[in-house]
Amino acid sequence: MKRIPVAVVGAGPAGLAASTELARLGHEVHCYERESVAGGMPRHCGHQGFGLLDLHRPLDGPAYAAELVRRARQAGVTLHTDHTLLSLDGKRMRFCSPEQGAFEIEADRILLALGARETPRPARLIDGIRSPAILTTGALQRFVTLQGRRPFRRAVVIGSDIVGFSAIMTCRHAGIEAAALLEEAPFLRVPSLLARGEEMLLGTHVYAGCDALSIEGERGRIEGVCFHWQGEERFIECDGVVFSGEFTPESALLRQSRLSWDPRNDSLPVTQGFGTPHPGIYTAGNLLRGALAAYKCHAEGIAAARSLHTGINRPPAEAIPIATPTLENLDWISPSLVDPTLPHPYLTRLRFRRPTRGTLLTLLNGREVMRSRINARPWQTVTLPWFGQEVKEGDRLELRFF
Amino acid sequence: MIETIDLNDLFSVRPLPFNPEEEDFDVIIVGAGVVGCALFKEFAEQGAKTLLIEKANDILEGASKGNSALLHTGFDAPPESLELACIKRGYEEFLRIKDRFRLPFLNTQALVVAWDDEQLAKLDAILAKGRGNGIKDLDLLEPDQIRRREPRLSPRAKGAVLVHGESVIDAWSAPLAYLRVGLAAGGSAVFSSPVTGGEYDGQLWNLQTPRGTFRGRLVINAAGLYGDIVDRIAGFEDWRIIPRKGQFLIYDKSAYDLIRSIILPVPTKITKGVVLTRTAYGNLLLGPTAEDQESRTDRRTLRQTLRMLQEKGEAILPGLNEHKVVATFAGLRPASDRPEYRVHRNERGDWITAGGIRSTGLTSALGLAKHLFELSGLPSRPVDYQDPVVPNISVFAPRDYERPGYGRMVCHCEQVTKREILRALEGESPAGTYGGLRRRTRAVMGRCQGFNCLADVAELCKRVKAKKEGAL
Ligand SMILES: Cc1cc2nc3c(=O)[nH]c(=O)nc-3n(C[C@H](O)[C@H](O)[C@H](O)COP(=O)(O)OP(=O)(O)OC[C@H]3O[C@@H](n4cnc5c(N)ncnc54)[C@H](O)[C@@H]3O)c2cc1C
Ligand SMILES: Cc1cc2nc3c(=O)[nH]c(=O)nc-3n(C[C@H](O)[C@H](O)[C@H](O)COP(=O)(O)OP(=O)(O)OC[C@H]3O[C@@H](n4cnc5c(N)ncnc54)[C@H](O)[C@@H]3O)c2cc1C
Repeated sequence: MKRIPVAVVGAGPAGLAASTELARLGHEVHCYERESVAGGMPRHCGHQGFGLLDLHRPLDGPAYAAELVRRARQAGVTLHTDHTLLSLDGKRMRFCSPEQGAFEIEADRILLALGARETPRPARLIDGIRSPAILTTGALQRFVTLQGRRPFRRAVVIGSDIVGFSAIMTCRHAGIEAAALLEEAPFLRVPSLLARGEEMLLGTHVYAGCDALSIEGERGRIEGVCFHWQGEERFIECDGVVFSGEFTPESALLRQSRLSWDPRNDSLPVTQGFGTPHPGIYTAGNLLRGALAAYKCHAEGIAAARSLHTGINRPPAEAIPIATPTLENLDWISPSLVDPTLPHPYLTRLRFRRPTRGTLLTLLNGREVMRSRINARPWQTVTLPWFGQEVKEGDRLELRFF
Repeated sequence: MIETIDLNDLFSVRPLPFNPEEEDFDVIIVGAGVVGCALFKEFAEQGAKTLLIEKANDILEGASKGNSALLHTGFDAPPESLELACIKRGYEEFLRIKDRFRLPFLNTQALVVAWDDEQLAKLDAILAKGRGNGIKDLDLLEPDQIRRREPRLSPRAKGAVLVHGESVIDAWSAPLAYLRVGLAAGGSAVFSSPVTGGEYDGQLWNLQTPRGTFRGRLVINAAGLYGDIVDRIAGFEDWRIIPRKGQFLIYDKSAYDLIRSIILPVPTKITKGVVLTRTAYGNLLLGPTAEDQESRTDRRTLRQTLRMLQEKGEAILPGLNEHKVVATFAGLRPASDRPEYRVHRNERGDWITAGGIRSTGLTSALGLAKHLFELSGLPSRPVDYQDPVVPNISVFAPRDYERPGYGRMVCHCEQVTKREILRALEGESPAGTYGGLRRRTRAVMGRCQGFNCLADVAELCKRVKAKKEGAL
């Protein structure tokens, strides 16, 4: 079996940033990516919205991805594309590649940056027919940006996450009419600047609080989407449907490999130093919790790389979980573990699925150590400051509403 | 430059393999569901000149496209019925051929679990019926025995009948293997050819399709959900299909290990209840419902029904809610206005109907095929042929990506390689529909449902289609 010092798995913004940083810190870095081209999700985001906050220039997704790849190569990272991580057993990784078939590699330190995916139609249990023209934003973008194909003429987008708007832009770019954007929740998941109620956005009608959504058609051909809105039945003609947002970490293989699991984040538990309960295994980017902007994943990649670098000979710590048994609608929390051996302070970030307001208490060993007023919309990340006390092994930490 | 791609038109219609004017057949089988494919295999292997006619552009586009994929022993089948006889014979036959054709098979065993005293009281009768049906490997289990076998099952289980023989198979590869055996043994198959009418000319049936008239001495109607309609050609008008929908949920592979056995309910008169089982593809399946309907095509899934299924599943298996649903689907059973199989023959003996094979056809198909071959009175002249290969897509045997030279990984969730996709599109009895490609490879059937691979898969289909049409 091949043995290597540092393996990064996933060559999206997080994995590439981490690889580049690790190489700059003097490590021999091997970065593995299952696609034939490195770059991650931005590769198919054929619109602006990247680069400004990390590379300090406005770029579209593909240019941003290409620049990250260029930097990694320049820093001396060995990129292995067409390499799929299949499973993990301690620090033994099972991969496959077209040249070798299945094989194993052992690494001293592993950084996982597998990214996230959108929740497709079946998992949302949406009523109606089945059709190959029911896509996710990512799938639509791959048609348009990577293959130069227009899979339909008139689309209904379901889900008002920020990527719902990316879906609309992709439609416009491809000459697809985006007839409507529908949201099942009674609120939109983006700042009001972008969408106000049912008003039109770039020519697209926006409806929140849609009920009884159903995809209508015959023999795989979509004829439209039917739904109830403000007590009325509506029907919007279309020949394609795009489900956007509701990102979920690409973590299934880790769970199947029986790594420890945080059901809140649908992923590995993670410390403030991007470590996990598994010695030598680190993680960064959307794999931690679902989607944030690329520059944030990029920053996490760098931070995780530094942590891996300094932590290289550190024994595994008994990390303390941040418990949230009473927090309803928690979408994710990061970190989900506090490693007492790592330097403080640290910040705790969380997000809720629904608009949430109240006073959040931080309890250390059952005692209140901090109160935070929050008023969070579903697109907002709540950041809790450090409560000023060092956490020791054996402590208990909990967040709960007052 | 952005070009339009029609996702409903990624496959070319298969050319006819022969000129209909020039061929007479010993037997024509109408319908390429699992029953038609098994008949095709049997008759061709026995040396009959056999034609399979299918309406769709691929096999398994009817009832056989979505089922629970269980190989039943027949422990709960109607006693002394043809159904029971065919299930038992089909089961045996499957065991006999599975290694030869490398058909995935996992003997999970099944537990018929009683969740209350009323159900508990019925277990003895289930056991007795099973033994009466000739199924010897049955045991009654106490709650602690159930717990030892299935520690994650709800502790409310009061008792269970353990059925040793019940097993999980790959419901798509098996019929594909039957089709390929039939072809290898000299049979012919035509697709995109709905039989719209037919006449008997005193010697031969002339079956009409938009692609020509096909002639044969014997017709076997295996048209599944359309069995009653096709039967009218022979003058059988006294029965009718009542499609019975079954909705399902498929859980992600993380849920595969939650149970080992198939978990069956105690049947009641009112509800059939839901089944929990592993699948050959490494997932956990929950379902089906049983909903009678008029439509022979409506496979809509409904959130309300699926939620109800989830609740039932979570009551049986409390940990289930921590796992993700990756797919939902509905299957249609070709049930009829009577509970038994509709197997009959006309007086002249030139038309046989294999109809109303509603909920056990995957298991019984091979047995029914043997039975109908005997009924046909055709002489048995077994032919030699080279065993066809059916690529493995199950988790019970090594997969394609484990061997070098696979091109690239196209579908990451189900680990489907470009080599597998091209083989399914261009190789022996290739996929003729998008569903057919998915059933041959598992592409686009995983947790991301095409987020990563659909555009790539569609492009490969389109390219192969252009190539084939250019070659014509
Ligand atoms: C439609 C859409 C529009 C967006 N628009 C914007 C925008 O305008 N601005 C912005 O800042 N952000 C945007 N984003 C978000 C941004 O793209 C992501 O946040 C960012 O790409 C996440 O980086 P990552 O490295 O964590 O994950 P990813 O980019 O997802 O990269 C993960 C990589 O890991 C690989 N991988 C996964 N599993 C394996 C395995 N088993 N073996 C090997 N490799 C594996 C994947 O192939 C992938 O390349 C958008 C996202 C989408 C989907
Ligand atoms: C929800 C559900 C769960 C099930 N679970 C199991 C199980 O666990 N185990 C088991 O053994 N069985 C199971 N079954 C039963 C099994 O799936 C069916 O018994 C079987 O698929 C019936 O096959 P068939 O070939 O008779 O019909 P079909 O699959 O419907 O085949 C008929 C074919 O005829 C074609 N056709 C129709 N009209 C024409 C025409 N005019 N001309 C040419 N072709 C025509 C159709 O296109 C179709 O391909 C289940 C079924 C369902 C729906």
